[in-house]
Amino acid sequence: MSTAKHRIALTVNGRKIVREIEPRLLLSDFLRSELRLTGTHVGCGHGVCGACTVSINGSTARSCLTFAIQMDGAVIETVESLAPRGPLSVIQQAFHEHHALQCGFCTPGFLMTARELLARDPDPSEETIRTALSGNICRCTGYVHIVRAIRAAARKLAEGASHVD
Amino acid sequence: MSTKSDDPRGLIGRRIPRKEDDRLLRGFGTYTDDVEEPVGTLHAVFVMSPHAHARIVSIDVGEAQQSEGVVAVYTGADFAGRVKPIVSDIEQPGYQPINRVIMATDRVRFVGEAVAVVVAESRYLAEDAADLVRVDYEELAPVVDVDQATQPDAPVLHDGTTDNVLFQASYKTAGFDEVFAAADHVVQDTFQSHRLAVVALEPRGCFAVYDRGHDRLTLWTSTQIPHIVRTAIANLLDWDETRLRVIAPDVGGGFGTKAYVYPEELIVSFLARELQAPVKWISDRREDLMTSAQGREYRFNVALAFRKDGTLLAAKAKIDCNIGAYPGFPFGASAEAGGAAIYLPGPYRMPHYAYETRAITTTTCPSGVYRGVAAPAAFFATEVLMDRAARELGFDPADIRRKNVLVAADLPYKNATGIVYSSGSFDTCLERALEASGYAAFRQAQTADRMRDGKLRGVGIANVVEHTGQGASRYRQRGILYVPGFDAAHVKIEPNGRAIVWVSECTQGQGHLTSFAQIAAEQLGIGIDDVTIIEGDTGQGPYGTGTFASRGAVVAGGATLRASQKVAEKIRRIAAHVLEAAPDDLELADGQVSVKGVRQLSMPIREIAAMAHSMDPRALPDGESFGLEATDYYDPPVASITNAAHVAEVSIDPVTGLVTIEKYIVAHDCGRVINPLIVDGQIHGAVVQGLSSVLSEAMRYDESGQPMTGTLMDYLVSTAADAPDITVLHEENWSPDTAGGFKGVGEGGVIGALPAAANAIADALAPFGARINRLPLLPSAVIALMKASPPQR
Repeated sequence: MSTAKHRIALTVNGRKIVREIEPRLLLSDFLRSELRLTGTHVGCGHGVCGACTVSINGSTARSCLTFAIQMDGAVIETVESLAPRGPLSVIQQAFHEHHALQCGFCTPGFLMTARELLARDPDPSEETIRTALSGNICRCTGYVHIVRAIRAAARKLAEGASHVD
Repeated sequence: MSTKSDDPRGLIGRRIPRKEDDRLLRGFGTYTDDVEEPVGTLHAVFVMSPHAHARIVSIDVGEAQQSEGVVAVYTGADFAGRVKPIVSDIEQPGYQPINRVIMATDRVRFVGEAVAVVVAESRYLAEDAADLVRVDYEELAPVVDVDQATQPDAPVLHDGTTDNVLFQASYKTAGFDEVFAAADHVVQDTFQSHRLAVVALEPRGCFAVYDRGHDRLTLWTSTQIPHIVRTAIANLLDWDETRLRVIAPDVGGGFGTKAYVYPEELIVSFLARELQAPVKWISDRREDLMTSAQGREYRFNVALAFRKDGTLLAAKAKIDCNIGAYPGFPFGASAEAGGAAIYLPGPYRMPHYAYETRAITTTTCPSGVYRGVAAPAAFFATEVLMDRAARELGFDPADIRRKNVLVAADLPYKNATGIVYSSGSFDTCLERALEASGYAAFRQAQTADRMRDGKLRGVGIANVVEHTGQGASRYRQRGILYVPGFDAAHVKIEPNGRAIVWVSECTQGQGHLTSFAQIAAEQLGIGIDDVTIIEGDTGQGPYGTGTFASRGAVVAGGATLRASQKVAEKIRRIAAHVLEAAPDDLELADGQVSVKGVRQLSMPIREIAAMAHSMDPRALPDGESFGLEATDYYDPPVASITNAAHVAEVSIDPVTGLVTIEKYIVAHDCGRVINPLIVDGQIHGAVVQGLSSVLSEAMRYDESGQPMTGTLMDYLVSTAADAPDITVLHEENWSPDTAGGFKGVGEGGVIGALPAAANAIADALAPFGARINRLPLLPSAVIALMKASPPQR
């Protein structure tokens, strides 16, 4: 196994990052170990559970199925970008008020997916929400409160709350 | 006592969003793999057996040891004599105790059992080297199910045992045989519930940091039982318990599979001391699916005996539980088989009961106390039979339940195994769930036209109970020695008047940091934001048992209540001295101590806190000590029985066999509700886990004992697109037995979901004469049921 390192330059949560990495390093491990952005979780490692969902160049993707070396020049956002300080984002606040998280391990992935959904469709039906979330597994909530939270966030945003984040 | 917990001034009973959410939402949680790694941290990767049953002929670690970044490779032989085996059961009738060495030395008994561990500078390098460990196996005959395991010529899996039945028990009420023989009508069938993986979303893992100067070890581990883990490490590694600290940090779901002490926790702790370096092990999903305690592979042969008029007289059960390769510590071999028998009587007046129950070891992954343990399968059997009895005797399924369900006049009711149901709302929950579901209207429409829109439609009812908050006496009675049963809380008010409460349990998402803060704040008369709960750390706070079996609210909640009341009493004594009033005349609320009904005669609790810390010129009353803190231990005297009625409505596509849950109602009674928002969440999550196990999840083993579902692409967990919306209705009959009147609620949703869904599907398939007695009900199984007999419209 070649362990020769290669240089990548990318933007993560608005910060410019340059690192020397092995070609086989997964993006999830790069974010978690190299950058200490441990909000991105690895629940399965094979692209099913969605806990590792991040935004790459504006679209959600599985960081456990992506090599970091593919990210040269990319703009990446992780859960830590949503509200690093100050008030929670509209979606995060709705998750809080509607008890849409229990153990919290899947939550970062759900937040990234929900953000993309509401940016695309500001007034999704329950069915649309459930379909959009079908790539994320939550083992605690039964999804009832997650769906309610996303509908509430959509209403809040329609009433003029500033930003999907 | 039936009291609504909605005192407008009280915090208990309020729908308060959780205190723990903020950091988890921001991505600032700290799960085991997120704990900051000191420089020099080593990573462990286990080499797992590819065979279900084999003799280990030889292990060659030479090439692995030479691999880049490898620090050490250990096999079972390296631990032999240095770490004691895990013994999960005791010498008492019915048990065959076995010793489990922490790493296999001569024989492997399930696919995934560890035979070596590689420690390297990175996880990637450790995985590279693990591929280079050469193990020579001689395959032995696998024993995959309980029938194979109990054949007279079956290989005996464990040394020192005579056969593969590791636990058995039987019981019969006096007069059972006569009553059963004289019954007008008996319904009987054999029900098979299927093996499940638990799939807590955070895979198991642990991280040990050794402090060589103090000879101290800190172990972060994704567990539900940090105190029991610490005691086990101390005992098996022969280590002074005071030098061990076990921390359950944020834990990404437990559901029973993390309520065990695992060999990996012992091995990683051993390695950290041996190598004098931090050692981390995090399982991947494949490893977690293969090695974390699974659940629910049970066979229930059940007969229910009735009078012609629908009166339930007796139940007879023969239960076999496949417990996999090893009984787990601390629950041992009897957890499932014993529980299965005890849970079965349910919420009905049923004077007679007889059972025989067995726990049988096989060459599959160890099985254990997955959410609800055996209760979901027990009620799958009894509630499906209840529906069959209704049809055969000419009753509606709702009416036969109305006839037999416990009513207020029956309480307290001692069931046929001697367990007392002291409070509950069995009949009320049934009626409320039926009404909310529109049951009567559904039946009318169904009678008029069964397939009005091309779909088969059915409705199913399940009446269930949940045995919650079990204390020391219940575990001793069940022969489970290593589960203490009590929990504890230490409440401390700091000089600024705000409180920290250390609780001996730990949370895996159940909302302890909010619910327990509500309990403490209400007793102390301060705001919920003035209370911080700290849990899951044996280095802080009192000893206790842990979080499983729906015990958090009852046992740790009770301890928090009692310890807080002790501190509140001291506040009253000090305030009484200042205000020149009797302590009993004082009340604590809104941060003030005041004379009841005379709000102007009051003082801030903050000032009492200052006095208690000698930061105020006023003296304490004579004989009162400094400090404002107290500990209490709580051991509930009996199990508290939570009850629920579930109604599920389903539609089935007759072409594909796909089942859709159209409506789901739960009416339940967990006594005094601490936080209805959190209780709703517990029930939603449990119901969907139960439905998922009926409709898609199945842990499959082939005939050689090889697991066939090693990824989440094969092991199908319900997503939001599969799951229904759920309506939860609360009844609150406070427990007269427990501190605070709380009963547990973590498992009831699963327990009801299996029978409710099975009955709804059976109802939809009634025109085909379908008899459901196995799970899961995948589309292929539904189609097979439809083909079994022609429609009888």
